Amino acid sequence: MKRKLLIIGVFIALSPILFSFCGFYVSKADGTLKNKTSQVILVRDGSRTVITMYNDYKGDTKDFAMVVPVPVVLKKDDIHVVDQSIFQRLNDYSAPRLVEYWDQNPCSSYEEDEKTKVLSNRGFSNDKSAPASIMKKDMGVKIEAKYLVGEYDILILSAKESGGLKEWLTINGYKIPEGAEEVLDPYIRSNLKFFVVKVNEAEKKKLPGNFLRPLQIGFNSPKFMLPIRLGMANADGDQDLIVYAFTRKGRIECTNYRNVDIPTGNNVPLFVQKNFGAFYSNLFDKQWNSEDKSVGFLEYAWDVSPQNFYHCDPCTATAPSEQDLVQSGVWWLKGKDWNDYSDIDNDDPNNANKNVHFTRLHFRYNRKSFAQDLMFQVTPNTETFQARYVITHPATGNFTCAAGRKYLQELKQRRKNELLQLTVLTGKNIDNWEEAAAAKNDEEDIAEAQYANLIPEIKQDMKNENNSPVGILLISAVMLGSAGLLRWKGLV
Amino acid sequence: MQFSLFKDARYFQIIFQSVFLVYGILYLHWNADWFLYGTYFITSITTQFICEIVFNKNKLKIFSAAWFLKLQAGIPSALISSFGLSLLLKTNHYYIAAFAAFISIVSKYLIRINGKHIFNPSALGIVAAIYFTGNAWISPGQWGSNMVILFGVLSLGFIVTTRVQKIDVSLAFLITFGGLLYVRQITYLGWPMDFFIQSISTGSLLLFTFFMITDPKTTPNHSIARIIWAMAVAAVAFYLTTFKFINGAPIWVLIFAQPLVPVLDKLFKAKPFQWANNKKLTPKENRFLQAVYTHAVM
Repeated sequence: MKRKLLIIGVFIALSPILFSFCGFYVSKADGTLKNKTSQVILVRDGSRTVITMYNDYKGDTKDFAMVVPVPVVLKKDDIHVVDQSIFQRLNDYSAPRLVEYWDQNPCSSYEEDEKTKVLSNRGFSNDKSAPASIMKKDMGVKIEAKYLVGEYDILILSAKESGGLKEWLTINGYKIPEGAEEVLDPYIRSNLKFFVVKVNEAEKKKLPGNFLRPLQIGFNSPKFMLPIRLGMANADGDQDLIVYAFTRKGRIECTNYRNVDIPTGNNVPLFVQKNFGAFYSNLFDKQWNSEDKSVGFLEYAWDVSPQNFYHCDPCTATAPSEQDLVQSGVWWLKGKDWNDYSDIDNDDPNNANKNVHFTRLHFRYNRKSFAQDLMFQVTPNTETFQARYVITHPATGNFTCAAGRKYLQELKQRRKNELLQLTVLTGKNIDNWEEAAAAKNDEEDIAEAQYANLIPEIKQDMKNENNSPVGILLISAVMLGSAGLLRWKGLV
Repeated sequence: MQFSLFKDARYFQIIFQSVFLVYGILYLHWNADWFLYGTYFITSITTQFICEIVFNKNKLKIFSAAWFLKLQAGIPSALISSFGLSLLLKTNHYYIAAFAAFISIVSKYLIRINGKHIFNPSALGIVAAIYFTGNAWISPGQWGSNMVILFGVLSLGFIVTTRVQKIDVSLAFLITFGGLLYVRQITYLGWPMDFFIQSISTGSLLLFTFFMITDPKTTPNHSIARIIWAMAVAAVAFYLTTFKFINGAPIWVLIFAQPLVPVLDKLFKAKPFQWANNKKLTPKENRFLQAVYTHAVM
């Protein structure tokens, strides 16, 4: 099973290539995530934040450029490149999962072991672009710092006004997309700095492989946010963003948009296994639309502290190791340098110090529904969560005994429920699943309970299924009406 | 007895709060944590019951009819506090929920000046739970920003139907807070309009504006004092939100601003507030209400 994950993120990329990018990428039919998916790792404790940005740029590295607003001028020690595979591991581990169970034949005399298997899913890809050449010319733009980190040339700019910054970027070969100015000014006036990246060709040549590694930046600031607005400037349509967050205390949540748990624990038909990508992508679309779009979805939350061995139930992939976490920027797991006394006040021999809570949030944003950057808070919420869907294989053998006939009846009813569940979760009419249901499945020997045969029955049952948000307004109207009546009757 | 249930504005407040809770659970898909809500309600009511025994100031005979009347008069307030906690405070631990509810109710009996309690009970419970336990939190984003109409209708309905809530407090707070935000976000930083609209239309802010800061028992009696006080709360809350990035700043500011209320009441003399609307009452009702409200702790 394959899923596709693509990225663009908090960065703007500023070249003509960028505009061809949208047509360049074609989403695979089995992808669970949309074309434009960015991935970011956020690590937060106290007032320190570490942000790691996935880089899936595939074009000519000469054309690559990105700009990220940051609250402070970063020091060289605050900037690192990390191993790209870390994103793959975090995604595999925290992605929505399908779980399968097997029924036992009630007519069998022996007990079969109950098996649970996880169908995991992986697959990745991504793109992004822009050319850059940098020279100095003052336009109210100041180069606060200049570093070479890994294969990247990095500049940290501060600006006095967006016009100057725009001009400077244009002269230096960055093409500013339409609409970027709308956010540049507010960022400049909020005293943000601009972290500008291009690829150093000489350094790049020393590295094996034709990919760019993710950049990791760390800084201290009370602001715990992700600047998504700049990324919207050059993107039309909806963009997906996956946030993998690590904190010491508990889950993170968004403070200026609603946080909603993605539906989980539902029983779905067997054929979802072969269409899990389509299933989850439909499910996400449906939920996103029905929640009014301005929301962040929780897909995973767990205590992944190295000392905690129970990380999921079931796991789709091996849990991130302590090393993976350190790579992701979880600085409090780093081996202690006992010669370094600079942070002696922060030393805490307590084990609680090593706690790591993992939150995976999934946003789908566009300019209309997301007027503000994403603001977050760390909560002490340690409750676990995972997006998990269940398929159940039928028993095999013959069902001639009384219990067996009863089992078949129950199976039929259960499958009807699974089909209904599928339409409710995905918002796709039952007709859309007919083809998938008719495809070869492993339960074919039980003819009377085949999904394809149950669909006509379901269609009849489905007339009265409707739940509208109008209900609550109706309740309020009735309430106000009765209050008015009471007043009119002089009872109040 | 002729005393009508709806003579008391608090019942309206209970109805409105329950609508918000139902709305949150059904429509906004909150994780309905029934045990948590249960803990708030049971602890609040039990605490109220115990406090009525322990702080029995007018020496009513315990479990006598008069004592029960007084207890009964306090129950709606306990329910309001419980709803307030259910709507705002989140925690994974029941003992923390119990602690918050306990603090809410007990504060009404212990922290009093001139026969008025000082703190908004649920606000104090929330602040105490977050600050002292570190294991509770509020979710400012839980209402989203698409609720203006619902909140507007319900809030106005509430004000009109009860005539108890002081709209001046709400307006003074909202206009000051919104005005400062506007100047900062639109005029100074240059964000587009929808950025500002999102800030000002969040459910948490509206809920605070119309249902928390308005509590007539913990706002100044004099209308000018009330307006100045609400504006001051708004200004400080704006500062903490914008420059210190504190979540839920209005609630924290409210808690620190409430001790100023007795001072303002000293400076600006006015008739103190009474819950029931005592116009057009029969002498019998009047006597009853006096008995209840002069002694009732709310």
